[in-house]
Amino acid sequence: MLGIRPKLVFSPGGVEEAAEVMAQCARDAARLLFVGGGTDLDAGQPPESIDAVLRTGGLGRILEHAPSDQIVVAEAGVPLAALQRAVGAHGQRLALDPPWPERATLGGLVATNAFGPLRARYGSIRDLIIGVSIVRADGILSRGGGKVVKNVAGFDIPKLMVGSLGTLGLISTVTFRLHPLPETSAMVVVPGCSAALLRKLVREMRRAQLEPASAVAILSGPGVFDLGVQFEGFAAGVDQQRERFLALMGPGTRAEVVDAGGRAAFQTRHDAVRGAHSLRAKITAPRSEVEAVSSEVVEKVLDALESGGAVWYPTFGIGFLGGDARPGSSEPPASASALLSARSVLALLGGSLTVQAAPAPIRSRLDAWGERPQSWPLQQAMKSRLDPDGRLAPGRFVGGL
Amino acid sequence: MSASSSAVPERVLAGMAAIVGKSHCVSEPAQLRTYESDGLASFRVTPGLVVLPASTAEVAAVVRLAADAGLPIVARGAGTGLSGGALPVTGCVVIGLARMKKILEVDYENEWMRVEPGVINLDVSKRISSEGYYYAPDPSSQSVCTIGGNVAENSGGAHCLKYGFTVNHVLGARIVLGDGSVLDLGGPVGDAPGYDLLGVLVGSEGMLGIVTEVVLRILRKPEATRTFFATFPSTDEAGHAVSAIIASGIVPAAIEMMDRLAIVAAKAATGLDWPDVGAALLMDVDGPLAEVEHTSESATRLAAAAGAIEIRRPRDENERQLMWKGRKSAFAAVGRISPNYIVQDGVIPRSSIAPVLREIEALAVAAGLRVANVFHAGDGNLHPLVLYDARVPGEEKRAEELGGEILRICIRSGGSITGEHGVGADKAPYMAEMFGEGDLDTMGRVRCAFDPANRFNPGKVFPTPRLCGDRPGPYRPHPTELSGEAGRG
Repeated sequence: MLGIRPKLVFSPGGVEEAAEVMAQCARDAARLLFVGGGTDLDAGQPPESIDAVLRTGGLGRILEHAPSDQIVVAEAGVPLAALQRAVGAHGQRLALDPPWPERATLGGLVATNAFGPLRARYGSIRDLIIGVSIVRADGILSRGGGKVVKNVAGFDIPKLMVGSLGTLGLISTVTFRLHPLPETSAMVVVPGCSAALLRKLVREMRRAQLEPASAVAILSGPGVFDLGVQFEGFAAGVDQQRERFLALMGPGTRAEVVDAGGRAAFQTRHDAVRGAHSLRAKITAPRSEVEAVSSEVVEKVLDALESGGAVWYPTFGIGFLGGDARPGSSEPPASASALLSARSVLALLGGSLTVQAAPAPIRSRLDAWGERPQSWPLQQAMKSRLDPDGRLAPGRFVGGL
Repeated sequence: MSASSSAVPERVLAGMAAIVGKSHCVSEPAQLRTYESDGLASFRVTPGLVVLPASTAEVAAVVRLAADAGLPIVARGAGTGLSGGALPVTGCVVIGLARMKKILEVDYENEWMRVEPGVINLDVSKRISSEGYYYAPDPSSQSVCTIGGNVAENSGGAHCLKYGFTVNHVLGARIVLGDGSVLDLGGPVGDAPGYDLLGVLVGSEGMLGIVTEVVLRILRKPEATRTFFATFPSTDEAGHAVSAIIASGIVPAAIEMMDRLAIVAAKAATGLDWPDVGAALLMDVDGPLAEVEHTSESATRLAAAAGAIEIRRPRDENERQLMWKGRKSAFAAVGRISPNYIVQDGVIPRSSIAPVLREIEALAVAAGLRVANVFHAGDGNLHPLVLYDARVPGEEKRAEELGGEILRICIRSGGSITGEHGVGADKAPYMAEMFGEGDLDTMGRVRCAFDPANRFNPGKVFPTPRLCGDRPGPYRPHPTELSGEAGRG
């Protein structure tokens, strides 16, 4: 875990106990790292120094599920899959499908702003979270938001926690809005799409007023992607959308409706790119720039790696690269140089490249976040107001926060 | 009250005039009174000065000058807010953003547009309608309220049940901070590294910074929309219909409820031939055609099963617009049946609509007052309109107390003291009933991170004033930064 060997490990059994641990750490001036399911521990820069780890596994209760209000309140250590099983029994789901749901915890998902293909239709965690309680660095328990979807009382602390990577406070409970499980769904795979065809199909889906639940492009060869588009909802609507999507295919473009097995296989390929590599990066760019992303970023980075893959979400312009560095690396490693060039390309397009995981030789040559954002003075002010002594994962966040 | 204008020193007046032009500074007492309240007219304070800048640079210069003079600043859009969020403080500089109303850029392929804060909400959708696009948040005041005000209040509207609020549709913002510095938060491309300060900014009621440009998400229009208007014997049956429709897995675009008094008022104002019934629902479902046909049919069936007396569908788009006009004008329409009224805004869990409405009715009877209800039933966002006659001694006070009791019911039921109108000056005292000291302290720290001098909109949202200490803890450079390995800045 980022090369850290803490002296102490705390596993509080509840929110109150977590607050006591945090207060004690404040008195001891102990620097803390929060660990949930451990699926994204490499995110960010390695913290400077950590005295203690706080594991959230003991914060494992679902506190309230109100099916008729479509909300759920749960402690941070609840794994996503456990939550989905509980609310699924009532025909509902949290519309969030990142990889590794059996291990990934709610608190960790919020802290890392994790998402999966469903973001295309339902947005990211910031669009689903409606309440949060945190334990601050000083041990104070603090709530924000509430239990109703519509609520503008006070500043939006839940959104502040999204993607904050354990640097502003311990996320102790979260409240999400839920959606009904769809009656049915259908997936169409268009194999062998060029980047230009991806761009064209997204434009045409919009023009045809199709509303896919997800659209995922998985790299299948140099400059070529397999596009999987999923439609969800009531049967009549899903059937109609699927047929109209198939009708968008030009001559020579093959598209196939896949069954449950095909869908699972596609999901497995997607998850593998997102998780199974020693080097992983998240890339963002305007969706209209998919061709440049493909040729100048995806191809160039993967060329510098031993093996790897890429996924791109063509309806919202975010993707992931995954691969493994070549053994016996030159100096500096080609993969680090390739990532730096890719970052420059994306920055010119208005996007970014964030390293999610990397072997030490690459990390030492490449900041996980890139240049400080223009809003950095404000980012720094936020950190110092909530964690004035810089004890929560110090150095892990953007710009050394 | 108007004497406060003299609080602004002559050299500040001259400085402001030099920045924005003399004709865009308002300092005459009679003219200043135009700005003494927003849509909540029971709160009035005459500002010291009103300045109407035309650009980000002018806003920044005005802020710097006001900061140098130690004057508080209150930003203002169209002044349609209902919580006193744009209420001036004595001697303050009001920065009116109505002149900044340019639509700067539209990118259809990437589905965003960049606008200035003074652009009227409805004008955004009008501008992109011919290309088949629209902007989703639709507060009832959308024909007059501005995008900047929407950002400050995180405005909702009827269709946020399916589409979310302003915060879900703002991708980026350029803001001027209390020291006059200019920053960009977010942007057209999502997930920029850093804290989600944009998410905090939206809905911060003008207390964190002044927004001078906004990047909005625009949406492709749905293929089809179906609307129905269903009448019920009482709000009980209407509430059950809402629950049944939501429980069936349908996510309506909007589902609005009106009770008997609200229907009477809307009829009086619009001339619609709505029947005299205990409650009505106005509902939109939208999306791909085949799905909408299915969901509108199921919803109709469920409404009938819940006890609907009659279900009407508009014959054409004109009639549909008229139905919605009846709903959206309902607040103002209440003026037809009562000399005075308080617009309340609170949220309850959707499943509690029927019992909470009965509780409100019982309180109203006990107070000798009438309450009309017209609200966003799908997300439990109540808008009780407390009717009173200010000429009757004691009635206004009883109405205010009843409004406060309604908020307490919302808190007790697990809801919120405001769903879309904001806390502002009006509800600041209730924040301490909804949130604990630790909660408010965290919000106060967020405020201090953005605006350590408490320059912007002082006295709003927080029940008691909070000052910011010195910014604690110096920044410590990261080791890789010191060693020159990591490129930053």
